[in-house]
Amino acid sequence: MSTLQDFNGYSPTWCPGCGNWGIGIALKQALIKMNYDPSNLALVFGIGCSGNMNDFINAYAIHSLHGRSVPTAIGIKIANHKLPVVVIAGDGDCYGEGGNHFLHACRGNHDITIVTHDNGVYGLTTGQVAPTASRGYKSKSTPTGIIEIPINPITLAITSGATFVAQSFAGDAPHMIEMIKKGIEHKGFSLVNILQPCVSFNKINTYQYYKERTYKLTSDYDSSNFKNAVNKSLEINKEKFPLGIIYETTRPTYTEELNQLKEDTLINRKRFEDIDSVLTDFI
Amino acid sequence: MIDFTWKIGGEAGFGVMTTGVVFSKIATRSGYNIFDYVEYPSLIRGGHNAYEVRVSDQDAVCLDNKIDILVCLNKETFEKHNHRLLKESLIIYDKNEFELDCEYKKIHVPFDQIISNLKGSSVMKNTIALGASIAVIGGDINILLNIIEEQFKKKGEEVISFNKKFAELGYEAVTKNFSNLTKKWLSKKTEILPKLVITGNDAFSLGAVIADSRFYCAYPMTPSSSVLATLASWQQKNKMVVRHAEDEISVINTALGASFAGVRSSVGTSGGGFALMVETVSLSGVTEIPIVIFLSQRPGPATGMPTWTEQGDLLFTVHAGHGEFPKIILAPGDQQEMIELTTKSFNLADIYQLPVIVMSDMYLSEGHKSIEKKVVDKIFKDYKVDKGKIVNTKKKNYLRYQITEDGISERLIPGTPGSFYQANSYEHLEDSHTTEESKYRLEQVNKRGQKWTTYLKQDFCLPKIYGDINKATYVFVSWGSTKGIILEAQKNLDKKGLKTAFIHFNHIYPLDKNKVKDLFKNNKKYILVENNSWGQFGKLLLQETGVEIKERILRYDGRPITVEEIVSQVIKL
Repeated sequence: MSTLQDFNGYSPTWCPGCGNWGIGIALKQALIKMNYDPSNLALVFGIGCSGNMNDFINAYAIHSLHGRSVPTAIGIKIANHKLPVVVIAGDGDCYGEGGNHFLHACRGNHDITIVTHDNGVYGLTTGQVAPTASRGYKSKSTPTGIIEIPINPITLAITSGATFVAQSFAGDAPHMIEMIKKGIEHKGFSLVNILQPCVSFNKINTYQYYKERTYKLTSDYDSSNFKNAVNKSLEINKEKFPLGIIYETTRPTYTEELNQLKEDTLINRKRFEDIDSVLTDFI
Repeated sequence: MIDFTWKIGGEAGFGVMTTGVVFSKIATRSGYNIFDYVEYPSLIRGGHNAYEVRVSDQDAVCLDNKIDILVCLNKETFEKHNHRLLKESLIIYDKNEFELDCEYKKIHVPFDQIISNLKGSSVMKNTIALGASIAVIGGDINILLNIIEEQFKKKGEEVISFNKKFAELGYEAVTKNFSNLTKKWLSKKTEILPKLVITGNDAFSLGAVIADSRFYCAYPMTPSSSVLATLASWQQKNKMVVRHAEDEISVINTALGASFAGVRSSVGTSGGGFALMVETVSLSGVTEIPIVIFLSQRPGPATGMPTWTEQGDLLFTVHAGHGEFPKIILAPGDQQEMIELTTKSFNLADIYQLPVIVMSDMYLSEGHKSIEKKVVDKIFKDYKVDKGKIVNTKKKNYLRYQITEDGISERLIPGTPGSFYQANSYEHLEDSHTTEESKYRLEQVNKRGQKWTTYLKQDFCLPKIYGDINKATYVFVSWGSTKGIILEAQKNLDKKGLKTAFIHFNHIYPLDKNKVKDLFKNNKKYILVENNSWGQFGKLLLQETGVEIKERILRYDGRPITVEEIVSQVIKL
């Protein structure tokens, strides 16, 4: 069994008190609990403070481009569908620059897990507004307050076809570990949106802010009911944040739907050599 | 010698395109060679479609200037193309639909009457036209009947015999009433070798399959789209995975992810889609993840003229991607080169761990050329999948970006137990962790740059020279799809007593400066021929080697350069 030491890369350079620290540890703990080691999974990082985790955790990984971690992860999964694939992205990365990819990954039910660091700002570029920021949020790029209303990633994911949608909070490590673990275990597209304070640039969505506005879903909550889940997710628009699995359902994953992958992974299958069978089209 | 051109035209959306391919196959199944080309607007219905096939018992490498048989499914066809008819050219048309006041040899085929008698649909005009055409050129109607059987096999005997009737009545309309005008241009040869009728896009698709590429990702964009359709149609057979992603950015990043995981991957697009992919071309460069990009050009800028041809993206492609990193660009001259260079591109991408771009254009991508099946069989038989320094065994102290003499480091397949690494978009150390230190930055930039030096030494190919450069007065210089047209122009000029040679580049970038410079040492009149307005290859040659070609033949109205243009311009010199 692997240990935290096996996964530990360089010492993180995140700001003291940043929510990334907790998320980083929770991710490693979840992987350890699931008996993974750095050699038998793939991580894909976006660009941002969250993506900088690339150097702090050991694993086969791609530190990709801003916004493009999701399609990159889909490619890895198609090539080797037996490898678990986890995306580490920020809210700007995943819902802004890569918003289109996010939508379509939900539709495709690609068997990947996205762990989104949702802090409402672009931390690495010094605090400009992100797509999840509340309307009116003032930042360097929106000095008079953002005009757009925020994206609700939970509603978006549920209505776009995601089969596992959870929300957690960077201040609650055991809860994050549980959500990440369940997300990876889930067969199909899973989103774990983690509410995360940015101590340097976001003076509104603080630990205190979230402590006052988050609550855990109880055991009587039915996460398999689509309408219920949509209604629950809409509470976020009123700054009430449910934590836990908000929606979970089953649908064949993208790679399960591919007949080509029934017998073996794409990388392991034998070379196709019956060229005559394709040449006949042209005679 | 047999060498004639058959052309059919009609309203878009009524099957002219598929009819053209069938005609080409009838010719190859009769033992001849073909070269064909299609003209169509960016519309599904309502415009004018035309398809022409040049048939020859020699190798057909481009279109001819004249049209020997023009099938006019509407009057517009005659109006648009009659300037290329000869006095003795034959016109197939329905005089009940429109009258043609002209001197050419007219063959009336009662299309409308046949259709209304048999209660057929207007698409069946094409089948009648094919039957009539075969009669005119003295071909074997059974070849067409066989093709109809193959086409409608799944629909049953009734549909087959119904469709055959249209072919037979078209055939009879000519043999009964116009036997005095018929030719013996398509007499069935005694020995017929199986030939493939393929477009450049088909050739890329075949190349990808031969090279054991297992993942293709694309977003439809003319003129590259038929690669997506072809590979998608084969995937249950050959177990390739083909993904039509949400946009070109997703396309190339998905492919890069698959390639990282160890699967040979490629993408296909045209200029606009490639523009969206460019950031990831750079990512492939720094992460050293192989990727093959098929780029079929059309006239830009922006949406441009989607269904026409141009070689206008060369300099964009050469410079595509921010930052400095090596890439390789190949541009095949015809269908056979497309298969060969596509298979090579996958090896190059793996060996050098970088993006390789295979350039085509609408002219090469959508025109068919016949190629003997045994040629493709041999390419497949001779091809060796060379994955370069790829490893999948446990490595102690593995360094993904290890400094090596040739610039190439070992690439470990993710999932290999006992190890790990990251493909890092940021500048990195040998062990793949991020760095901003000067020393390591220099090391990695130089390491990546070294791959070009290794490539130029090991795999770069100098351009092929056609004709005797020592005896030539004029030397054509060109690249990619213009090959066949220039070869034909050389023949014509030779008949006029003008000796020419032709330097044809298909390994476009990087260029070996000294070796390429040497080709231009002779005191000759060099003429640059390109399908663009800037003479982009000329600029690249100047940039890379200092060689400047002053004389230029350029065409940029969306149409391919013609043999006649080249011949007349050379004569004027």
